[in-house]
Amino acid sequence: MDSLIRHTDQINQQLARYGVKFGIYKNGVFNERLFPFDAIPRIIPADQFDYLERGLKQRVTALNLFLKDIYTGGKIVRDGVVPADFVYASSGYLSACEGIVPPRGIFSHISGIDLVQAEDDWYILEDNLRIPSGASYPLIARDLCRRASPITFQTNRVVDNRNYAEMLRGVMDNVNCGGINVVFTPGRYNAAYFEHSYLAERTDSVLAESRDLYVENDVLWYQGLEQTYRVGALYRRVSDEFLDPVAFRPDSLIGIPNLMAAYRAGNVAIINTPGNGVADDKGIYYFVPKMIRYYLGEEPILHNAPTYLPFYEEDRKYVLDNLEKLVIKDVAEAGGYGVVFGRDLTKEKLAQFAETIKNEPRRFIAQEIINFLDLPVMEKGEQVMRKADLRAFVLSGEEVQVWPSGLTRFSRDPTSFVVNSSQGGGFKDTWVLK
Amino acid sequence: MGSKIKSEHLYWLGRYTERVLISVRLLMDMYDQMIDGDPIDYQGFCTRMGIDNIYTDAADFCRRYLFDADDPDSIYCAMRFAYDNAIVLREVLTSEGLSYIQLALTAIEHAAESSSPLVELQVVIDNINAFRGSCYEHIDESSRNIIRCGSSVERIDIMIRTRYHLNRLSDEVSMLLNRLYKTRLEPDQECLNSLVDAVLDSRKPEASDEQLLVWVENLFPL
Repeated sequence: MDSLIRHTDQINQQLARYGVKFGIYKNGVFNERLFPFDAIPRIIPADQFDYLERGLKQRVTALNLFLKDIYTGGKIVRDGVVPADFVYASSGYLSACEGIVPPRGIFSHISGIDLVQAEDDWYILEDNLRIPSGASYPLIARDLCRRASPITFQTNRVVDNRNYAEMLRGVMDNVNCGGINVVFTPGRYNAAYFEHSYLAERTDSVLAESRDLYVENDVLWYQGLEQTYRVGALYRRVSDEFLDPVAFRPDSLIGIPNLMAAYRAGNVAIINTPGNGVADDKGIYYFVPKMIRYYLGEEPILHNAPTYLPFYEEDRKYVLDNLEKLVIKDVAEAGGYGVVFGRDLTKEKLAQFAETIKNEPRRFIAQEIINFLDLPVMEKGEQVMRKADLRAFVLSGEEVQVWPSGLTRFSRDPTSFVVNSSQGGGFKDTWVLK
Repeated sequence: MGSKIKSEHLYWLGRYTERVLISVRLLMDMYDQMIDGDPIDYQGFCTRMGIDNIYTDAADFCRRYLFDADDPDSIYCAMRFAYDNAIVLREVLTSEGLSYIQLALTAIEHAAESSSPLVELQVVIDNINAFRGSCYEHIDESSRNIIRCGSSVERIDIMIRTRYHLNRLSDEVSMLLNRLYKTRLEPDQECLNSLVDAVLDSRKPEASDEQLLVWVENLFPL
């Protein structure tokens, strides 16, 4: 391991060489930033991964069943397990998707589940079922780590994670309706453009922007230089609302007109399907354990962080009484934004915030602060401890598989729990031991 | 699997990388001239290259024409534009091929900070040449030839403008034709025929530089 850590700078230089960056807009200006890599890996022993794997498969299976149910009648709502308010009023719910069952009935093909490890257990913080990003970073980093320090991988029994592209390709092929696989990107000024282009390369797919694609007679086509190609699977990295200006936002310049018609006709698979936002809404998160019991008749293997919904009177009372020790999240925000720690607010701000919660209870969830474990990070030659989370990737193809790795993000600020790259965080490789 | 848009990026990647290579060499010659105290005709250079003379003197020209990120005519910007075209072609160029363009961009940024920029600029040239070599290893023939068409057009353009290796103009036009036939690019046939006649057919009357440049610039309506 020492050998690997000694090569941290060289690995970061190699990451720069391969353009491993993310984009960020600040004051309306686009900047590309390197994603700082720390060579000390997060290590998950085999038995712990086995536990996580079972829990993640269970959770994603239930979430996929929930999505299918919601868009084909909503039995779970009629049975009173999930309140209609949290489904049909959610901004992630798309009426344009009602009645559509996608190829092979899979809605969330690539699920990014955010977890943290506390003293006693792992806790799920968030489900990302729309366009979860981040797998490409540990994927390329592993390759470079192996080059930098072969001895580290000779002497440690680490599961090879470099099969992600193969797994992803399998997911695309599984639902392909006949034609080529395309990675559909909004363009190079998207924050995750590196990932789009890298995954297109590694899965041998075509990277395309809206200008390259069109729908004719409910079929999606890629306009090649020499000929046109039918598209069978579209791994889209464009948000739902911009995907099709005919079905969604008419001002979208990065979408494909009539894509939803092709999708509805069953002529193209969209990965992940539009409308998944209804299941990864921060408010719906509260109900996932109930979904697992409802659809699978099983007890959840992995637990949510203790969560309260101000929407319910009893929870609201608890939240208002304990605001200073809770973390409050705005359900409409993502990327580490809209997260407020009650302990950081002045008395006056706390009172103001309490009023906002009373007026808009559906807008927030509140969680107990989990004192998740710090991980060692090298900083200026010293080993320091920093907060870190784990994004696990669950791929639903012919079967549901958990990638034996994941994106471990860490905070570079010793006082912060926020690990998002957009907020200055770094990343680590995630080792699963054999 | 190319598209019209990708072809445009490949073509301009070829043009901008060539512009960097030739401009660096021209600048190195000028720098060398300055060492002996000889004046350099940077105003004439600007006129011939068709760029605005925004420079206060020869030293200002040498520094800003090389490295000024706010001067769209600078070599730094040409390198940046090459990168902008390359970055959207990762799955065509491969990460390996693209990495040489990234290295060239990083090198020119380092050169701007260096006390011996000319030495550092050699790294830029090395990486662009390494990129070209990698094209033979990683890129399909059609895409590679589109990049090479871009290089040829840029070289022809600069040869005419600066008289740089002008004696090789006919070779370069022949090379362009050879590359063009291996792509699906659709040149403006009238411009192509006129250029070929003027440069390769000794029976046809010579064309002025201005006329040649019009044909070159309108060869590909991209």
